[in-house]
Amino acid sequence: MLTPTPTANETLPFRTADFATLAEGLDYAARGATGVNFFSARGEIATALPYAELRLRALELAARLPSAGLARGDRVGIIAETTPEFLIAFFACQYGGLVPVPLPLCINFGGRDAYVERLRGMLQSARARAAIGPAELAGQLQQAAIGTLASFVGTHEELAALPAARPFEALGAGEPCYIQYSSGSTSFPRGVLVTQEAITANARAIAEHGLALRPGDRCTSWLPLYHDMGLVGCCLTPALTQISVDYIATTSFARRPMVWLKVLSEQKGTISFSPTFGFELCARRAANGLAESFDLSAWRVAGIGGEMIRPKALDEFARTFAASGFDASAYLPSYGLAEATLAVSFSRLETGVKVDCIDLGEDFERRRLARPVRPDQAHGRRTRAFVVCGKPMPGYRIEVRDDLGRPLPERNVGRVCIQGPSLMTGYFRNPEASRAVLLADGWLDSGDMGYMVDGELVITGRSKDLIILNGRNIWPQDIEWAVEKVEGVRAGDVAAFAVTGEDDQEQLVTVVQCRLGDGAAQEKLRREVHATVQRLAGADSEVLLVPPRSLTFTTSGKLSRAAAKASFLEGALRDLDELPTVLEPLRREARPLAVAS
Amino acid sequence: MTTTDDTIFREICGLVARFAPAGVQLRPETELASDLNVDSVAAMDLVMEIEDKYEIDIPINQLADMRSLGDLVELVRQQLKDR
Repeated sequence: MLTPTPTANETLPFRTADFATLAEGLDYAARGATGVNFFSARGEIATALPYAELRLRALELAARLPSAGLARGDRVGIIAETTPEFLIAFFACQYGGLVPVPLPLCINFGGRDAYVERLRGMLQSARARAAIGPAELAGQLQQAAIGTLASFVGTHEELAALPAARPFEALGAGEPCYIQYSSGSTSFPRGVLVTQEAITANARAIAEHGLALRPGDRCTSWLPLYHDMGLVGCCLTPALTQISVDYIATTSFARRPMVWLKVLSEQKGTISFSPTFGFELCARRAANGLAESFDLSAWRVAGIGGEMIRPKALDEFARTFAASGFDASAYLPSYGLAEATLAVSFSRLETGVKVDCIDLGEDFERRRLARPVRPDQAHGRRTRAFVVCGKPMPGYRIEVRDDLGRPLPERNVGRVCIQGPSLMTGYFRNPEASRAVLLADGWLDSGDMGYMVDGELVITGRSKDLIILNGRNIWPQDIEWAVEKVEGVRAGDVAAFAVTGEDDQEQLVTVVQCRLGDGAAQEKLRREVHATVQRLAGADSEVLLVPPRSLTFTTSGKLSRAAAKASFLEGALRDLDELPTVLEPLRREARPLAVAS
Repeated sequence: MTTTDDTIFREICGLVARFAPAGVQLRPETELASDLNVDSVAAMDLVMEIEDKYEIDIPINQLADMRSLGDLVELVRQQLKDR
């Protein structure tokens, strides 16, 4: 019977990421008994990999890397499946002086072509000299590597079978650690270059201040390892703090979300992160009596991040799983982004979700002022409850600035700018994109809009998506969420944006993915969406019903409104009404599961 | 080669029928994504149902290569053989 790695080390003193490099951190963790565990789609343990064994296997593989025709410092693309092989290859690069580039997975029917394009874009952008993946994806990887600089393209087994040589020197302090692709289009991906200094600094701040990690903590994760929240939060930070992790593949979670809670319950997990929709999926799938069969009482940090936090969905989860011993004070709203490695702010531990309810009237719309409304005053007003994402971690600073870069006082909505020890120095080999976000004073423009209240950050949306109608600010998320509640519409089906029409007037456009085949039903949906937007934003909106999969998402699952708007303006997004009766072949855009940051 | 009188084909049709827009006929060459509107969330539900019905594991990495109903039927057949 396979036994998962223990939760705590008996003799090895606990250290919170006070290492100069990732390799040094794994060397230390390997002196204990903790490690990582991989669970099957049905929640049974499949592999236990103590950090000691991960280190040995990574060192062994590191000795094969020179035989793949690589030079020290070369980039190595690795498909980031939730498997021991991915972690071994990732750490082999650390020990072997190469820079790993985690590559995404694809789970769409017929998504092959778009997936190959996406992989190729990343291999090209990273100027990868090698590309490694599981045997089942070898064909797609080979195809993606055509025309790129990759000279070795193969499986983990093929790499391991190369002759051993003297490995290159491990990646040292002051050197890169890995490249993270999290944003940008398929043709112009932007890779965040994360340094050893950045990863250790961010992991230290997360461990000491964000989560107050301690011996006895155990992490459970289904988040993909090709995203910052999965890789940094649930893989590298635990490795740097000798904490055991129980992994469920993202694809397993997507099929059977309850596996997440089953594993957490059985292994007595204390730390687990998810975007809001992960909690939502579980609450929705919880059949009668199922909640009672879990024991979630050890879960002390239920981290939330990666997308706008929706308090109602979290309330629903907490209500549903109270019977399992889930404590809503475990909720830990946080804010971060790949450009800062991962985390920037955390709310206070053991306090749960705190919302700031503000008036959406004139002051907000015209003067960008977030005036608080007490619940007893809310009657008859348009209000909105935003989740408070906490104070910046020690060493980090957050400033809300206006469009001219001037700092704004509290409760003024502006651009969220960040400074801290784990900011990227730039996107890899992309000075133009880097200049657009890295400010002259060394701060990073996050691209998010928000305001501060009592020193805590509140995120209200993405700045570039802000819709301004007749001088009033309208947040597209608000429209999208409202329309998603219309019957027949699902989360992720809606994109709202504004286009400039005649007389420079902004015209609101709401695009809805529609699965209804019947013309009368479509018209009914169109009327309902129009009415909903009218009610919410008080604006007339053009409503476009489009076939499913017309909207595009970033690799991290965020809706790309800019892409939707561009397609609309090009005339590529067309209403079902204008399409021929037999649906024309649709673009097969690689749309990963909308998971994680 | 999948034909319309194949048992597995007919069973899978039973599972995907709810995705089919009015007027779309279920044939081996019917495309899952574009003809049947099976998006990534629906795809996961469908995979789970197929796995439970046949007690097989569908390798998720192969979904990108599954374009048509016939492809899916062949995959199920292959997994049943390997079981």
